[in-house]
Amino acid sequence: MIPWGFLKYIVKRAVVLYLTVVIAIYATILIANMGGKVDEIVIGDIRMSIGQAISQNPQYRNLPGEERAKLIEQLVQQEIHRRGLDTPFFVRSLIYLRDALTLDLGKALTMRSDTGSMLVRNIILERLPNTVLLFTTVTVINFFLHLFVGLYLSRHYGSLLDKATVALSPTSVIPGWFYGIFLILIFYSWLHVLPPGGLVDVPPPENPVDYALSVLKHMILPMLSWIISGLFLGIYGNRTFFLIFSTEDYVEAAKAKGLPPRLIETRYILRPTLPPIITSFALSLIGSWGGAIITETVFNWPGLGLVTYNAISSFDTPVIVGITVIYAYLLMITVLILDVIYGWLDPRIKVQYR
Amino acid sequence: MSSSRGFAKSIINTLRELVSYKSGVLGLIMLLLLVVFSIYTIVTIPMDRAIAMWRGEGDMWIENPRLAPPEWIQFFVGKNLPKTMKFDSREISLNVAKSSAPVVGTNMRKVHIEFTFNYEYDDFPSELNMFFSSNFSKTTGAPIITITWVKPSGDRINLGDYYMTDNKYSLYFVIDPITRALVSYVRQNYGVEPSDLITNIQFLFGKFTKEALQKGNLEVEKGTYKVIIDATVFGNADLDCRMIVYGDVYGIAGTDHLRRPLEIALMWGAPVALAFGLTASLVTTFVEMIIATLSGYFGGLLDNLIQRVTEVYMVLPFLPFLILISVFYGLNIWTLLVVVIILSIFGPGIKSTRALVMQIKEYPYIEAAKAYGASDLRIIFLYIIPKILPPIVPGLISAVPGYVFLEAALALLGLGDPSLPTWGKVINNAYEQGALYKGYYYWVLEPSAFLIFTGLSFALLGFALDRIVNPRLREM
Amino acid sequence: MANIVLSVRDLYLYYRTRKGVVKAVDKVSFDLKRGETIAIVGESGCGKTSLARAIIRLLPRNVEKFDGVISLNGTDVMKMDEEEFRKRVRWQKISYVFQGSQNALNPVIKVGFQIAEPLMIHKGMGKEEALAEAKKYLRLVGIHESFLDRYPFELSGGMRQRAVIAMALVTNPDVVILDEPTSALDVITQANIINLLKRIKQEMNISYIFITHDVPLTSELADRVAVMYAGQIVELSDADEFYVSPKHPYSEKLMASVPTLRTDKKLEYIPGTPPSLINPPSGCRFHPRCPFAYERCIKEEPPLAETSKGSLVKCWLVHEGKR
Repeated sequence: MIPWGFLKYIVKRAVVLYLTVVIAIYATILIANMGGKVDEIVIGDIRMSIGQAISQNPQYRNLPGEERAKLIEQLVQQEIHRRGLDTPFFVRSLIYLRDALTLDLGKALTMRSDTGSMLVRNIILERLPNTVLLFTTVTVINFFLHLFVGLYLSRHYGSLLDKATVALSPTSVIPGWFYGIFLILIFYSWLHVLPPGGLVDVPPPENPVDYALSVLKHMILPMLSWIISGLFLGIYGNRTFFLIFSTEDYVEAAKAKGLPPRLIETRYILRPTLPPIITSFALSLIGSWGGAIITETVFNWPGLGLVTYNAISSFDTPVIVGITVIYAYLLMITVLILDVIYGWLDPRIKVQYR
Repeated sequence: MSSSRGFAKSIINTLRELVSYKSGVLGLIMLLLLVVFSIYTIVTIPMDRAIAMWRGEGDMWIENPRLAPPEWIQFFVGKNLPKTMKFDSREISLNVAKSSAPVVGTNMRKVHIEFTFNYEYDDFPSELNMFFSSNFSKTTGAPIITITWVKPSGDRINLGDYYMTDNKYSLYFVIDPITRALVSYVRQNYGVEPSDLITNIQFLFGKFTKEALQKGNLEVEKGTYKVIIDATVFGNADLDCRMIVYGDVYGIAGTDHLRRPLEIALMWGAPVALAFGLTASLVTTFVEMIIATLSGYFGGLLDNLIQRVTEVYMVLPFLPFLILISVFYGLNIWTLLVVVIILSIFGPGIKSTRALVMQIKEYPYIEAAKAYGASDLRIIFLYIIPKILPPIVPGLISAVPGYVFLEAALALLGLGDPSLPTWGKVINNAYEQGALYKGYYYWVLEPSAFLIFTGLSFALLGFALDRIVNPRLREM
Repeated sequence: MANIVLSVRDLYLYYRTRKGVVKAVDKVSFDLKRGETIAIVGESGCGKTSLARAIIRLLPRNVEKFDGVISLNGTDVMKMDEEEFRKRVRWQKISYVFQGSQNALNPVIKVGFQIAEPLMIHKGMGKEEALAEAKKYLRLVGIHESFLDRYPFELSGGMRQRAVIAMALVTNPDVVILDEPTSALDVITQANIINLLKRIKQEMNISYIFITHDVPLTSELADRVAVMYAGQIVELSDADEFYVSPKHPYSEKLMASVPTLRTDKKLEYIPGTPPSLINPPSGCRFHPRCPFAYERCIKEEPPLAETSKGSLVKCWLVHEGKR
């Protein structure tokens, strides 16, 4: 039994989201090129590669300087025309848009990827898994932590733990990276127990198991900073949620039906609450991508965020544009996955397309 | 209760309830403290002066110690930590003596300056510099200065001769000639080769014992020190000297790597954070509310359009965009504010407000109002907005810390207003200078404490308000 | 008296609130015969719903006192602990149709499954078997069996009510408590539901406890009528007797405020405000609003005494034969 309704829904969402990404990236291009900066970058890039090609080409070795410059200029103009870069602003922006959408993000000014490539795409994508590793892990941990402790607290309403959680929830207003600074202070500067940043020990262990353990050791502080940050408010939010949902009529009806308490909790409280809980998971995941930039800077974690920081410090503008594009795609994929999960859980959606 | 009078009454009721929540009261008090502090700051140090002070043109802060923790550290350390001492030959006092006499038969004069002081601190000074000024003319010749350092132990060390290269001449006591003079004195008078670890300051202020000199662990020598400056000037020139013995600590908040007193940034961070956070939150919330109301009330094409735009906004990477704009075009605090607002107005808050508006729209008294001919505008402002305002207010207040930390985050990344002294900027400086690795904890802790205080004050207030306004959240 | 299926004796249910102790159910006693329908009527806040919930032991957190004897087929269920009560009484012997059934169904689970659920839990049936059984009951209440696979939001209000009734019947309980089952529905649907209940009563010989504030609604179904006031039963009569000549002054006033189709009636109302359940009036609780009240009514609380015609009335006037 193929759930056609559900598939229709996914396709619709994917299309809408992709259009959204197109608009977002186009906005990026427009903003980036308002001062002609992208033009500068691209043309500068062309000039450099042609210049290099000419100087390395044995045919032109004996060409006097002036002649060579003229030749380069000629070839550059040819290339500009070929690529359509001498068209009006609007058309140019569409060309850049096409490039960006296909992740043809050009070359960096000074930065290089670990494998030596200067392609912006490689520089960024190479670091992407590290960011995903760290932040998805932490968001998932937080999700389950908040869920189960919140559920527990909703049952023990009014207890000391409950009151403490409520009182401490304002501490979540402080972002994870800020806690991170303090954690480094305590666990590295003072106690010398954990590393202050980076992905692995230097030099990295040969043995894959040791390597993995080393990475885990380096993940502890960044993860801890985001766990602490979201802890009390997350638990408080979930607990309030469950409290409200457990006073729903259908929960009372389930009790009257004589259903066992465990079953009521899973099927009548948890299950109906899942759609909004998943939504908040989505929001926190998206929030974590954003927080990644600063967290990785604080912890020297070699991911997207650190690339961003390095790009800022060295004014490597193609990389910055590239990062914005990648981020837009990242967000789109995240939202799509979560739409799929939401659609699966909320019967109203499945039914719409019956 | 949709009239404006009812609205005012509900505000008073809310305030009354707020007082019953301890967290709310605490938040309110903290907030009031911040506001008073900010007003005091703006009054005592006007913004232009603050920016100028923070830029530190030229030698503005040259007389402050570098990277000095605040003075109250000494209570935790238990030592009497040295404070900066300043001696100026232009201000004759008990510690300062100056005389000048011509040398008969020449056009030279001898200027004699003596600085005498008691050193009772438990630790070494951080630096020692001398700033000479003389109104000599290049044609007659530059003065020649000889410095003699007399320690309580009686050691009389000749620190060498120095030529003033310009009318203003700075002599930093870390330079090699002074080192050589000190080392050779030790060799000659104590017969040992002093350890490489000993700094010039330690030579100048340390107790000379053979073992200590060899090992390199000199103790502070307390007592009366005398610094003698003998200068030969030509023509009718005069010569003055200003000697600064830099302390280990400074002021109420310490200094940074550019010798700037951190208290300026700590004080000015408050009004900046408040203004930025409150403005961003207020404007964003207000605009969001209007958009949500228009969307929910009028429905149709407008609603659809606004919903689509909101969806686009959700996929816009907020921070990367901010970074993009900042790197490409540079931002000062006001443009940053505008950009942040623009990037936030179609945010997620719209959904819930819009749902509420759509619910209220169906109420019979709205229909009644339409029936008696009320215009849409009147209905929106008189009936709908007062109803949706209460749930929005807690969110507004709780959102402020987010903006405050956003500004700090941007500063940490190296973006943000380069001229304005803010808390984030201080942390950024600290981070770039490796404060956490080098042990300058106060540099990070002080602005952090202010940020936390600000964040918590708004959070406490906002959460208390949320519990009041949202009856379902009240303790059931 | 072998065909008494439910017997309630001296039932108390008090709640603790910020303003004091609410005496929602204050020493209530009555019997329910097999196949009989008792209608419990009264104003809002008189304790009818609390009584219903007390019987099926759906208690809130702030219970101050819960006491009395509830006998089901001779067994005192008050003595059972929560787990035993859940397994043996809830839905097996007594089921409950909630007020405002719009929300009594889990929104994310299919209707058929929810109806079949008690069978799977209490009778240990497998899923297929239970759904087949649920289908039968859907048919019984007049819902097409294709709705087995639908979600609650796909059903209209009236259909949801029927589904909830099907759900209440599926385990063949002895007693079904219906708490204002039709108050959220339009008149026509209301009539349909009442007809349905009548039909089921005849076919399955189930005892109903029908709780409502709508007195005339009960006339179709009720064999006996109990009137509740301020947490107490003030009159319990046969239906015929009650609708024609109610004994208690309050019942009289209730009937007098109901419009009739055929005669031109001057509608009356009951003066005063409903009594506080925290501090009920002294003596007879109705005395502040009773046109016939005299000294004894103010000082002493009348007993629930039997009249010559077999009705139970809690009134000094009736007790002393003055009415």
